[in-house]
Amino acid sequence: MMKRLVSNVRLFLEGALLSYIALFRWLSPMTYLASKVVMPLSSMLFFVFLGMYATGSSDASFYVIGNAVQMAAVSGIFGVTMSISGDRWDGTLAYLFGTPANRLVIFVGRAVIHVVDGMLGVLLGFFWGVVLLGLDLSQTNPGALALTILVTTFSTSGLGLMLGSLSLITRNVMFVNNTVFFSLLVFSGANLDLTKMPAWMQAISQALPLTRGIASARQIIAGGDLAQVAPLLNVEFLLGMLYILIGFSMFRWFEYQAKVRGTLEAI
Amino acid sequence: MSKYRAYLRAVLITAEMTLRQNVADMFILFAILFQPLIIAILALWMLQERGGDYAIFVVVGSGMSGLWSSLLFIGGNSITSERWTGTLEALVGSPLPLQIVVFGKNLAQVLQSLGSMVVSYLLVVVLFGLDVSVAQPGAFIVSLLLTVITFVCFGLIIASVFVLNPDVQRWQNGLEFPVYILAGFLFPIALLPGWTTPISYLLSPYWAAQALHSTSSGSGDFSQTLLAWGMMVLSSVIYLALSKKLFDYVLKKARVDATLGMQ
Repeated sequence: MMKRLVSNVRLFLEGALLSYIALFRWLSPMTYLASKVVMPLSSMLFFVFLGMYATGSSDASFYVIGNAVQMAAVSGIFGVTMSISGDRWDGTLAYLFGTPANRLVIFVGRAVIHVVDGMLGVLLGFFWGVVLLGLDLSQTNPGALALTILVTTFSTSGLGLMLGSLSLITRNVMFVNNTVFFSLLVFSGANLDLTKMPAWMQAISQALPLTRGIASARQIIAGGDLAQVAPLLNVEFLLGMLYILIGFSMFRWFEYQAKVRGTLEAI
Repeated sequence: MSKYRAYLRAVLITAEMTLRQNVADMFILFAILFQPLIIAILALWMLQERGGDYAIFVVVGSGMSGLWSSLLFIGGNSITSERWTGTLEALVGSPLPLQIVVFGKNLAQVLQSLGSMVVSYLLVVVLFGLDVSVAQPGAFIVSLLLTVITFVCFGLIIASVFVLNPDVQRWQNGLEFPVYILAGFLFPIALLPGWTTPISYLLSPYWAAQALHSTSSGSGDFSQTLLAWGMMVLSSVIYLALSKKLFDYVLKKARVDATLGMQ
């Protein structure tokens, strides 16, 4: 029992680290800088300036906070999905399906470092917000904000894991990734006041990660405490767990199909 | 004369081939349809409180975002994609200048990207039920024509620079939104710090946005539109001349280093 536990923990940690290295080994520091720093920053600036043009500079913090938290999706959606799909494109999926290793440990492990990376991305977003756009964090409870970032990045990575499973049966993973990422810009409330949106848009928003994380971050930065946002964070966490469960169920189904068909590939 | 006729034929055939290939590419569909559509939805909701002619402003601005993203990600890979498919050697070995082939590819990509504007228009009119009309149709069409030309010429520079220096291509992801911002696709550059204005003036997408916004909404006087047209013509001529040098350099370097197929 103990031996199996140790084995699974080792598999979890080594799998997490190796999948991250495998994803980014081809990157030079400059590529990382362009993809993980310049792209999110310029995207944030674009939507903040658009928001300021729409409603005036007094509302800038609404857009800064929304787009800073939205940065969780850069790692959570793109990074996690590509870590899962990487097994297929690099030809290691068949070997993975052939091992006796615990599937849940392998599957969830693919997201771990992206959660950490995503948190750094969100922190960097807030840093740019303070330095470049005058975001005021003087009323903020740092611990509550950190927990919000952690839970939001976790839930977004849950969605990423589900999309990662989808990437095993589609050749258009970048299409799926990009469509979901940009849709989150609309439905997460990063750039729109969801209370003014039609009911159908609000319904979609409630089923997505990020929505409650962004709302929670806005409350905390406005001076709210952890108790006030706890209900939001609880649901955000449960939503992340639900997406992981759906994603893992899909992963296991695709593995079953691959073995039944003898293809040792998902399609 | 027959040489130029052959070039024109090559441009058209390359454009047709490119369009046929792109139909099945989901990433291209995303770049020219889905992304501009999402940006249009966002901008419509965000800008509705401003009132006025925001609907046509969003149609043009989100359409231009599709034009630029398509040019950056697809036009930028015009030469690199031939390298990946193993056809670059055959293209370079043919008597037709490589620049002509890339011009044809970029022409197809820019023309199909105009679909972004059509999709945004349909979104605004059909789904949002807003009234959209072009204030100066004749001038708008001239602006659109010059936009296509200047984007195609700009694409020649991007494609050759990306091949010459892969480090620059690695910045592809980071170059998308800065041009949305600096070219004033969806908000005026007056919102930006003053030191960025000269950079905007150097970008032909800025002049294209100026011309299309002013002729579609009827804002601004005609002298501003003329200036934007002049700048697009000037930048296109400069891009063409510069790209000729760059393409010559790419091919010479590839032959000297024997690195045509591989970097």
